[in-house]
Amino acid sequence: MAFLLEDENFSYSNTLVLKNINLKINKGEKLALLGKSGSGKSSLLKHLFEKQKNNVSYIPQDLSLINKLSVFHNIFMSRLDNHSSIYNLINLFFPFKKEVNEIKILLKALDLEDKIFENVSTLSGGQKQRVAILRAKFNAKRILLADEPVSSLDEYLAKKVLEDFFNTYDTVICTLHNVSYAIEYFDRVIGLKDGEIIINKACSELSNDDRNTLYYVCE
Amino acid sequence: MMTGILYIMFVSKNFKVTFFFCLLAFISFLFSDFSISSLEPMLELKKFFFALFEINISTLPSLFPAILRTVCIAVLALFFSSFFGFILALFYENVFIRTFLSFIRAIHELFWALIFLQIFGLNVLTALLALILPFSAIFAKVYFEILEEHDVFDKQLRGKNILSYYFYSKVPDAFSPLLSYTLYRFECALRSSAILGFVGITTLGYYLSSSFNQAYYNEVWLLLLMFYALIASIKLWFNKYSFLFIFFFSFYYLGDFGSLSFSNLIRFISVDIIPYPIKASLSFEDGSLWFYRFFSNEIVPGLFNTILLTQVALVLTGAMTLLVFPFISYKFSNIYVRFLSHIVLIVFRSSPEYILAYLFLQIFGPSFLPAALALMLHNGSILAFLIGKQANALEYRLDFSSSKISLYAYETLPRLYSSFLSFLFYRWEIIMRESAILGMLGLATLGFFIDSAIADFRLDKMMILLILTAFLNIVIDNISKRVSRYLKSDTEIKRCY
Repeated sequence: MAFLLEDENFSYSNTLVLKNINLKINKGEKLALLGKSGSGKSSLLKHLFEKQKNNVSYIPQDLSLINKLSVFHNIFMSRLDNHSSIYNLINLFFPFKKEVNEIKILLKALDLEDKIFENVSTLSGGQKQRVAILRAKFNAKRILLADEPVSSLDEYLAKKVLEDFFNTYDTVICTLHNVSYAIEYFDRVIGLKDGEIIINKACSELSNDDRNTLYYVCE
Repeated sequence: MMTGILYIMFVSKNFKVTFFFCLLAFISFLFSDFSISSLEPMLELKKFFFALFEINISTLPSLFPAILRTVCIAVLALFFSSFFGFILALFYENVFIRTFLSFIRAIHELFWALIFLQIFGLNVLTALLALILPFSAIFAKVYFEILEEHDVFDKQLRGKNILSYYFYSKVPDAFSPLLSYTLYRFECALRSSAILGFVGITTLGYYLSSSFNQAYYNEVWLLLLMFYALIASIKLWFNKYSFLFIFFFSFYYLGDFGSLSFSNLIRFISVDIIPYPIKASLSFEDGSLWFYRFFSNEIVPGLFNTILLTQVALVLTGAMTLLVFPFISYKFSNIYVRFLSHIVLIVFRSSPEYILAYLFLQIFGPSFLPAALALMLHNGSILAFLIGKQANALEYRLDFSSSKISLYAYETLPRLYSSFLSFLFYRWEIIMRESAILGMLGLATLGFFIDSAIADFRLDKMMILLILTAFLNIVIDNISKRVSRYLKSDTEIKRCY
């Protein structure tokens, strides 16, 4: 089992954002979290992150990219803990060939190869999102927690990225606002409203009513 | 219900604070000496002014060494202090380091120069250390604040290698403000390097004071004009392409740095600065008497006069700011007035207070007048420039009054007053530091007693007075923060340049 939450509450600045959450997530599962903004899905994701810090790759909604650094350095950042400070500092000014080659291969898959040494600030929203996705992949752990990872991508790239997630990580948990992606690509969907789980079902078992509810909670 | 002026007087916090500080300045004024003691100040002023038209360009080459040494010392001091400041910024959250640095910062670079003169003698090393110490402490504080503002990286993504994350996330994000602050500090380093000449280092101040003493006013003008040209053209000659060259050239040009004498250092710490009663094993009564005399003849007058000068200069600075800022704002003045006012402000901003005070002192004779005038002109120019810029950014109603006075009193001043006060209180601590140092020119502020203690080789007294100066500075800094908090200004001023 990847995660087990039993009757858990989660507060942020003295406000209860998640109430009585009961959730079991198995290894190898593909889980989509759906809900309006403020429904608690990002909080749930962060809560899950805290439970398994060392086994998790995380893509935050705000991407947390360093605008003044190049695409290369932003992606390399996920492996800072794997090297000594000296190695990292040298690589900041004189990128090592080995790292550049490895990152180039990743970038090629998402059509960003020519941007490798460009400042992130010059990229479009979709390009930035792909950089954040690749930063997570560069040091991929067994579990992926991603907050709206494909919100700025077109359909072609969104599908490509989601398929790549399933090939790279054992367990994938994403917050989404696109109900059709959730139903088409994931095993299970969870619908959240006001910090409470209102739907928790395998995609194959969703009734028409459930689908309508999901569309409703995501609007 | 209170209306009009009564409302303003009793309810507005801004007014209460202004009233209180004006009253304090008035009382300070009554207790201080603002007389003109020179016999014919106007004649001297005239002579000085007309010397501007007698400038002899052929003497220029003989003054080049003064400028070169000033620049070289400033460049090396900037490099080392920004390096140390950056490292110290990493540990700035530590309360001991923070307190220690605020103490180092509170002592003016000229005072540091006086200390190092006793230990290492009159050489480049003394000059560099005198600048590097307070500048590193200032850099540490400001770098820390800038880096704090640029904390954008998600905490969840941060790993264990703190140093690497620091260099990959905070530093690149904060890089341009860090760089622009460092470059701004170069201007300050040039000014500080120039005034080190007044304690004997052969930088610009040294040549300036010797030309002045011989009444070669045309040479004084030439030196000043060269200095203004140097500061106005910083961006042209000090940039990323020239930095390495200037840096290595400075090492080469300064050549002999002097030597680090550890025996002198040990003597300074273990003998020179130990208070006399302890050193001479005086009895408790004799020791108390020594301290009582020191306290009543030097400490009390020094502190008292420093505070008097500070308070008068603070209010004068404020008054000048409010009077002058309309002259650089396009809302009030046409392009010709603005251009001229800008030039005047730049000249006063670039002139170190110490040099201005020195000039006025020669003209008016020793009293608080030249010092207060110098402090007002330098600080008032900086603030008028900042407030003028803010006035330019104001958006008025479409039907605003066409009378400039109404525009000033009804639309502009009320909206800028809070930020004006915040800026003014930010400068308070700086004005106090300068008031103390101006004593070295002969006014009875703390600098005078420190200078006299050194002349009599009473380094124990010097040390006690320096510690008191730093302490007073820290106290004023804290009061200023409290006043700003009381006023609850919406714009928190962290840097004022």
